Amino acid sequence: MPPSRCLLRLSQPPSSLLAAPIAPHTSTSIRHAAPFSASASQCMPAPAKKKGVTFGGPPARGTKALRIKKTVRQSTARPPAPGERKALRKRIVLSNTNALEVAGLRDATLDSLVDEAMVGKVVGLPGQVVDSLRAVEAFKVHQGWGLFRRPACLVRKETVEIGRVVAEAGEEKKTRRLVLCGERNSGKSVLLLQGLAGAFMRGWVVVNFPEAKDLTIGHTAYSPIPNTTPTQYAQRTYTANLLSQISKANNSILSTLQITQSHDLPMPLQRNLTLDRLCELGARDPDISWPIFQALWKELTAPGRPPIFMALDGLAHVMRLSAYLAPDMKPIHAHDLALVNHFVEYLSGRRELSNGGVVMAAVSESNQPRTPALEHALAAAETRQADAARGTEIAQGAEGETSKPRRRQPESFLEHQLRSLKHWNPYVKGDERVIKALDGVEVLRLKGLSREEARESWNTTPPVGC
Amino acid sequence: MVLLLGVNFSEQRLVKRALETFYGIGPSVSTRIMARFSIHPTAKIRDLENKHITDLTAELTGMRIENDLRRQLRENITRLRDMGSYRGRRHAMGLPVRGQRTRTQIQTARKLNRIERRG
Repeated sequence: MPPSRCLLRLSQPPSSLLAAPIAPHTSTSIRHAAPFSASASQCMPAPAKKKGVTFGGPPARGTKALRIKKTVRQSTARPPAPGERKALRKRIVLSNTNALEVAGLRDATLDSLVDEAMVGKVVGLPGQVVDSLRAVEAFKVHQGWGLFRRPACLVRKETVEIGRVVAEAGEEKKTRRLVLCGERNSGKSVLLLQGLAGAFMRGWVVVNFPEAKDLTIGHTAYSPIPNTTPTQYAQRTYTANLLSQISKANNSILSTLQITQSHDLPMPLQRNLTLDRLCELGARDPDISWPIFQALWKELTAPGRPPIFMALDGLAHVMRLSAYLAPDMKPIHAHDLALVNHFVEYLSGRRELSNGGVVMAAVSESNQPRTPALEHALAAAETRQADAARGTEIAQGAEGETSKPRRRQPESFLEHQLRSLKHWNPYVKGDERVIKALDGVEVLRLKGLSREEARESWNTTPPVGC
Repeated sequence: MVLLLGVNFSEQRLVKRALETFYGIGPSVSTRIMARFSIHPTAKIRDLENKHITDLTAELTGMRIENDLRRQLRENITRLRDMGSYRGRRHAMGLPVRGQRTRTQIQTARKLNRIERRG
């Protein structure tokens, strides 16, 4: 501003005025030597002020007031190769040599997964099962397996329940349909993993869809299957990858089974071709992966084959419209994708596994799109189960005490909430296909660890450095 | 490199973006074309089969895009100019056509509005 500039000029006389009185005191030799001297000469004019640096006021616009970093570092590292960062992000670490070994940690056996006495105990997963589970991508990145020396998990009450379901389905050759739900971090995916581990140990064939989202977000190739009504869409790249996983994970079983049926395939098959080789054929050529998957399924459901365990994580993603578009620009319903349809047919009970088996799905709470129909269907199923359980209790009570009339037990808060959800809001557009797909499924709600389970898991598995 | 309507596209280019490089194809038209041939939204040029490439080329050949569309635009403006309409005159003078004020802010009109419009 003008007044302050005037004052500033008065307080600091110009350099020419300052230099004038000094000049008589300096010798001529110094004056001559001054241009060659490296030291600052007093007779030199005052150094020019740095642009933008002012004291006692804010810095001028466009200048930095504080310079902490003096040199700009040039990165010499090569940029990551395509796919390198994704591989790092998806890397599953299942062992840690720095972690202490747990003394007396026993491997899981078929009995330990169905024995109630084992509830609250931690069991290790056998090496072969770990390989198979890794092949079907049952381990998730965020589950913290890398904190421990080897993969192990806690046997929960629900683990035993699932173990029994698997055992019964195998013995009775029935298809059991289950949906796991519960709060975030309550262990749904790990319970699914335990179910898969049990199936591998029993010698079942396991087909796992590790992340339902990958099927429906439109990231893999799709094509309409001719002569299907409503039109179904095959995902050839995903199917090829799935066949490769099935072949790797179930190699010990599939390598012992040979094809017995006739198939309508675009290429001839060897007479004594094993099923793992059949999978590999489909995995190698995505163009024929879907017909090969159908052929494999026909073989697996033929009489005398082992039971099947089908699992899917992140159920909500397949209970809505997918990101794919039909030729008429309308979004394709997830149930019109051939692989999803295949799973849903068994989950809904429209088709049965002829050699017995389990179809299990888990809801994900951390990555879940809003699906009112799914919420409604699960709530209705839970209410139905609660009603059935209460009816059984009342009947048992009536049998025991015939003389004394027994009062109906009051509903819990959760039950009340579920009952209110049981009736569909008529002002919300519902997805009938979803409600039909979940008709009659068993719902298993996880509610966190019990006190005993939590204590035991803490005592048994010391993490790194403990 | 894959040839689509005489233009070379690199293998790692998104099909959607490649289609949108053509004058006259925007996000909605590219989505429609891809849905018609069942090409997923994140497909890259290398993921396309030969059948897809043939279909796309045939579809693009039949569409009014690039120079055809530019020519149509110029013809429309010339028609207005020839009939001596107000819109035609405003185009010829390089002034706003749709009743905007001309005191300030007519750079876009000056740049674009002319008989031989670029596109």
